[in-house]
Amino acid sequence: MSNQSVSAKYFPNEPQQPIVKTTSLNVSKQEIEALGKVFDSRSAYFAADYSKSIGNYIADVDGNLYLDVYAQIASIPLGYNNPALIETAKSDKMIRAIVDRPALGNFPGNDLKEICGEILKVAPKGQDKLWSGLSGADANELAFKAVFFWYQAQKRGYKTDFSREEVESVMHNQAPGSPELAILSFERAFHGRLFASGSTTCSKPIHKLDLPAFKWPKAEFPSYKYPLDENVEANKKEDERCLAIVEDLFKTWSIPIAGVLVEPIQSEGGDNHASGEFFQGLRDLTIKHGALLIMDEVQTGVGATGVMWAHERFNLQPPPDLVTFSKKFQSAGYFFHDPEIVPNFAYRQFNTWCGDPARMILAGSIGEQILKNDLVKVADRVGKYLYEKLEKLQSKYPKYLKDLRGKDRATFIAWSLESSEARNQFLNDMKKVGINIGGCAEDSVRLRPTLIFEENHADVLIEAIEKVLSKY
Amino acid sequence: MLRRIKGVRYLSSKYFPNEPTSPVVKTASVPGPKSKQINQELGQVYDNKATYFVTDYFNSYGNYISDADGNKLLDVFCQISSIPLGYNNPKLIEAAKSDEMIDAIVNRPALACFPSTNYAQILKDGLLAAAPPGMNKIWTSLCGSDANETAYKAAFMYQHSKIRGNKPFSEEELSSVMNNKAPGASEMTILSFEKGFHGRTFGSLSTTRSKAIHKLDIPAFDWPVAPFPKLQYPLEEFEQENRQEEQRCLNKLEEIIENAPKQIAALIVEPVQSEGGDNHASSEFFQGIRDITKKHNVLFIVDEVQTGVGASGKFWAHEHWNLTSPPDMVTFSKKFQAAGFYYSNPDLQPKDAYRQFNTWCGDPSKAILAKAIYQVIKQDGLVSKTANVGDYLYSGLQQLVNKSDKLKNLRGKNFGTFIAFDCVNADVRNKLLADCRLNGLNVGGCGESGVRLRPTLLFEQKHADLFLNILEKVL
Repeated sequence: MSNQSVSAKYFPNEPQQPIVKTTSLNVSKQEIEALGKVFDSRSAYFAADYSKSIGNYIADVDGNLYLDVYAQIASIPLGYNNPALIETAKSDKMIRAIVDRPALGNFPGNDLKEICGEILKVAPKGQDKLWSGLSGADANELAFKAVFFWYQAQKRGYKTDFSREEVESVMHNQAPGSPELAILSFERAFHGRLFASGSTTCSKPIHKLDLPAFKWPKAEFPSYKYPLDENVEANKKEDERCLAIVEDLFKTWSIPIAGVLVEPIQSEGGDNHASGEFFQGLRDLTIKHGALLIMDEVQTGVGATGVMWAHERFNLQPPPDLVTFSKKFQSAGYFFHDPEIVPNFAYRQFNTWCGDPARMILAGSIGEQILKNDLVKVADRVGKYLYEKLEKLQSKYPKYLKDLRGKDRATFIAWSLESSEARNQFLNDMKKVGINIGGCAEDSVRLRPTLIFEENHADVLIEAIEKVLSKY
Repeated sequence: MLRRIKGVRYLSSKYFPNEPTSPVVKTASVPGPKSKQINQELGQVYDNKATYFVTDYFNSYGNYISDADGNKLLDVFCQISSIPLGYNNPKLIEAAKSDEMIDAIVNRPALACFPSTNYAQILKDGLLAAAPPGMNKIWTSLCGSDANETAYKAAFMYQHSKIRGNKPFSEEELSSVMNNKAPGASEMTILSFEKGFHGRTFGSLSTTRSKAIHKLDIPAFDWPVAPFPKLQYPLEEFEQENRQEEQRCLNKLEEIIENAPKQIAALIVEPVQSEGGDNHASSEFFQGIRDITKKHNVLFIVDEVQTGVGASGKFWAHEHWNLTSPPDMVTFSKKFQAAGFYYSNPDLQPKDAYRQFNTWCGDPSKAILAKAIYQVIKQDGLVSKTANVGDYLYSGLQQLVNKSDKLKNLRGKNFGTFIAFDCVNADVRNKLLADCRLNGLNVGGCGESGVRLRPTLLFEQKHADLFLNILEKVL
């Protein structure tokens, strides 16, 4: 390999291979049980020892060291214990941000513009402002609020004051002050688990059961046939069918639709892809019907698809109105460009903390490292290498690598198995050969490695997959 | 005016040997010219409309907040009640520099899937050690609003599970929920009180009833609201009226619950409605809520986001009530930096995994900070010290309020430094806040015409004296 390894630069002592000491995970089980007495730990895979984790490898408390292609549900950008991030964590700026957490909306620090500036250096094309939150769900809900403020301001006039009726009715959660407005999202989408973000989430029943929800509409998201190059016509028709559903909902839904929310690739819902034409179609429909377009880049953003923001590939004209982010960026919030997306009065888009400078500083540092080491290109290069190897495996084991997707989407790759049981078995068996890997939807496997996952790591992964599949 | 007793040893001097002895105001206005200029630039990329002044956190120290112009203001607002131990507290700096913290910053885990080996211990030494009486379990989140919403989710899942028993979800539930429809999507509600503030994400905002500006243009759930007592001050003079007012509110609450068209899963209330105007109610009122909620199978959530962590003279404000049985859930955030809710009933943990779940499920870096905060509070006995300083401050304020024709309704007696008073109207209040800033005192408002004191737990007699002097001067 002629390419200079970035991971070797950060982690000269990164292991060459996973270490599997025991598959019984006895210590892990004990720790998870102990934690479970005070904190719901039933979804724990294993108890991790982060101080021993390094680069692309995560350590558990039983002495195992796994190659991690799940990376905290797609949220570790530069590997465990990255020295550049440790340096940031030790900086005076970070220490102040941790011990003097400001109420940013009332008492912004004199370095807040600089902190935002660092994040904005890697903002999506066409976006030059941001609002900060704390998690992906929070980011999306803040974006919904911005959309509703904007939508009502279009009707009322940006500077027009509220009517007495609005001011009174809102205290009873009634229209016109609390208007009946909707955010349209898609089947199989995942946008978070607070009440409004939960209302737009449509991935699995378990995410939603027993919780009140807003009566907001769901359109269908395209379901493509694979391989894409053999199904061009069918998939084009699928785009058109889904766009027609969106348009129909705009015309018929009982509540006005103020915004459309969509992931560039539906991740939790199964790594479902759609074409640039589909997204441009959405952009056109939102403009036609006076709604805003929110791109949820919580999971897709920050490099893993081979561009900094996955929707940049679609080259939308005009660009989306809001782009939400979190996960790999550690910080959260939304990017935007139209000054009228800032509400007309103070204290509307507001809360105590309005984000967290400690996490914003880390985001700036992550962005800086990505630019400095050209990590988006690295992901793109490694993704191509990995995809080709997976294609070869697919021809050998077609049952276990169905609908391979993410070609030319860097390491943002997924495939399906024949059933949920087969998938779960596969994920489990991979752990036994030292790979920590995650699923999505009912029957799929998703790869969400760091941005410093390179050819040598891809080789380890491929070898492990082959080892597991050869026994099936 | 009360004067400080000679020979008092100040804990704040231990932590902040170089803390200013009085505020420093160098500019003719606060915000000063630099603050205004930086804020204007910030506005190009970030909504800056609510900025009081641009802050220099590097030079803020102890109870003093420094602004971009070099002014140093005695801070009794403290980032909207969220600075527990003063700016740049050396103990927290030590925690921030620890290996444990650095690990938590750079290796942020998806806690519920890959819990860190030290998380249980971090909780045990910090957040859980501080748990309210009768509570021994915790769910962690990121902010007050999020803490309340996760508590609501726990409440809805608990109530539905109680109805469903051991049956699995029905086919109809599984399919309807994907269209946001009943029976899979719940039609149950959360009841809150007029003037309550519980956050600004959509579920919590539906329970927030403080001011129209917090809610306008945002869709809300059609959830019930009950009246919160409007007490008359001074309390000693209106005992009977106030008792009647509280009884009226309790009667109304029970009537709302009995006639609710949809089942009320839980009720949420603040021990003192803070954002809504520092509205207090008696222990009897809250015991009344506990009795009614028990009787009608409504979960009782106490929102201690602003009142918690010592400022009321108890670690948790609801400890003042001595309830016959503890609340079902207690939410926290702000001064604890971490957020989440406490509970004890194991049934409040949903039956299946992945229901109370999200990517991060909290943030160990904040739990580590909460641990350091708790340990300082405990070692230095800051809760009882705050109770004493609060009494001192209250009696000083009592004299000022008695003398002034602009101030009224002093409240927060025997309630630590969690004190507030009203001005005769909003204009007087707003002018008072601005004049205080110009005289080196950063103080915040609440409700329509209220002024609330939310100092740190290292706010001591000498700071109280300065505060009283400045307020007297301004008046």
